[in-house]
Amino acid sequence: MRKTNLASCLMVIGIAVCLIAGAAVAAEVSQGKCIQFDQASNQITIEAYDLQFSSQFPYGQPSGENEVFDVSGAAIGIHPEPGDILRLAWVNKGSVKSALKVMNVSKQDLRKK
Amino acid sequence: MDASWLYMYMPIAGVDIFWPGLVLIGFSVGVIGGFFGMGGAWMVTPGLNILGFPMAFAIGTDIAHIAGKSMISTIRHSKFGNVDYKLGFVMIIGTMLGIECGAQMIMWLERIGQVGPVVRWVYVGFLLLIAIMVFADYAKAVSKKKLGVVDGEKGTEGFTWYKTLHKINIPPMVHFKISGIYCSAWLPMMVSFITGVLAGFLGIGGGLLRMPALIYFIGTPTHIAVGTDLFEVMISGLYGAFTYTLKGRIELVAVFVMLTGAAIGAQIGTVATKYAKGYGIRLAFGSAVLCCMISIILKQFKFETPAAVLILSTIGIICIYIMAIMFKGAAQELREKKNREQATVKV
Amino acid sequence: MKRIIYKWSGIWATIWMLLPSMVQASGDKATNIVVVADTRRVTGVMHYFANLYNTDIVMFAVWTVVLTAAMGCTLGFLMDFIMSRTGLDLKSRKIVEH
Repeated sequence: MRKTNLASCLMVIGIAVCLIAGAAVAAEVSQGKCIQFDQASNQITIEAYDLQFSSQFPYGQPSGENEVFDVSGAAIGIHPEPGDILRLAWVNKGSVKSALKVMNVSKQDLRKK
Repeated sequence: MDASWLYMYMPIAGVDIFWPGLVLIGFSVGVIGGFFGMGGAWMVTPGLNILGFPMAFAIGTDIAHIAGKSMISTIRHSKFGNVDYKLGFVMIIGTMLGIECGAQMIMWLERIGQVGPVVRWVYVGFLLLIAIMVFADYAKAVSKKKLGVVDGEKGTEGFTWYKTLHKINIPPMVHFKISGIYCSAWLPMMVSFITGVLAGFLGIGGGLLRMPALIYFIGTPTHIAVGTDLFEVMISGLYGAFTYTLKGRIELVAVFVMLTGAAIGAQIGTVATKYAKGYGIRLAFGSAVLCCMISIILKQFKFETPAAVLILSTIGIICIYIMAIMFKGAAQELREKKNREQATVKV
Repeated sequence: MKRIIYKWSGIWATIWMLLPSMVQASGDKATNIVVVADTRRVTGVMHYFANLYNTDIVMFAVWTVVLTAAMGCTLGFLMDFIMSRTGLDLKSRKIVEH
C-alpha cells in the first residue's frame, strides 16, 4: 500500500511540475567577444562566435557579426570588459534582445577548478 | 585515433567529461558503499573534480546522487520501524541550516576563487582521518584475535558521554520515545548542524559523523541510529540537491548516470557482504582511501592525468575484487541449492 | 534564573537561524559567479533542461529534486525485483546500504 501511495504521490507531483514547466520561455544563447559594455544605457555589444570549436579556437570562431543586448534586467557575473568572452542567455522582447544572464566565460575559467 | 566519442559535453558545467569514468565512479560508489556500509560519497566529489568538473559542481552533483540513493534505503528501514521520526524531525532543522551554511561557504569560496584548493585540502585531511580510523580498527581486530577475545555485540557501554550531555537542561526539553531518551532539543540540533555543515561543504551524506554522534552523544540505540541516520541522509541529500540547484551548481545528466550505476553496484556490494570473510578487505578499503587522497594531492599540483588514472584504477580494482567475492559466493550458493534440490528429488 | 535561560536560548536561536545569511553576506565583497548553460550544443531533453536552467532556476531545482527522488525509488524497487529473481537467499544479509 505504501509503495503505491508513494508512487502515485510522486506521479502527481511530476505531472504538476510538467504542466507548470511547460510554460517556460525558450531562451537563446549567444557567445562572443565583448566589444563594449555601456553601463549608462545598460547595453552590451559582442562579436558573435560560431560553434566551430577547436584547440585553436576554444570558444568558437568569430563570425564577424555584432550583436547588441539590453542587460538592464540581467544577472551579470564577473564584470565584462572589452576583450572578454561572454555567454548570454536572452529572449526577444519586441525588437530588443533582452539578456537574462551574462556569464564571463574567459575570466571564470581561471576560477573553475 | 579520434577519442572524442569517449567524451560527453555537460551543458551546464560547460566541460567535456570522460563518460566511462563517470559510469565507473557511479558503479564503484555503489559497490564499495554497499559492501562497507558507509556512504562511499567521499570518493565522488574528488572523483568528479578530477574528471574535470569544477569543484562546486562536483559537490552539488554528489549531494544530489546521495539523495536518490538514500530514498530506497530509508523506505526499507522505516518498514522495520527503525526510524525515530521525532528525533529525525528535530534534527532536520539543524541539518538544513548546516547544509545551507556549508553551501554558502562553498559559494563564497567560489567567488573569491579559492574553492578548488580549499575543498581539496579539507578532503585530504578528511580522508586521512578515515584511513587512520580504518587501520586502527583493523589493528584492534587483529590484536583481539591474537588474544582470543570474541567480539561481542557492539554496544554503547564503553562510552557514556551522553549521560553527561543529557544533564544539559536548556529548554525545550524533549522526550524521544522510540529512542528512549530525554534531553534538550538543542543537543540533537547541534549534532545535526555540525554534520550538516560538513555535508554541505564536502557533498557527503554525513553518516560517518552523524552515526557515532547519535550513539555516543545522544544515546540512541544502534539500530535506531542507523535508521534515523538514513532518514537524515535522505533529507540532507534532498535539501542539498535543491539548494545547490538553486545556486546553479549541479549537472543533472551526471546525477542520473551515477545514480543508475550506484543502484546496480549497491546490490552487488550488499550481496557480497554475505560471502566476505575476515578483516583483510578492510586493509584494501583503507588503501583505497589513501590512494584517493594521493590522487587529490596530485590533482592539486596539476598532475591531471596521473590523478585520474590513480583514482579510477584504485576504485576499479576494489570493485573487481568485491564483484569476484560476490559472483564466487553466489555461484557456490546456487550450486549448493541445486545439489540439495537434486538430493531431495532422488529421495 | 529560568527567565535568563529562556532569553538566552531565544537570542541563540535567532543568531542560529540567521547564520546562513550571515555567511552569505560576509562574502559579498567579491563578484557573483553566473553560469549560462550553452544550449546551442545540446538537443532534445538535455536542451530542455539546459534551457530551463537558464530561464527558470527555481523550476529547474524542483525538477531536479523530484526526478532524483523518483529515479532513486524506481531503481531501488527495480533492483529489488531483479535480485529476488536470482534465487539467492537475501533475507540473511545485513542492511548496510547508504
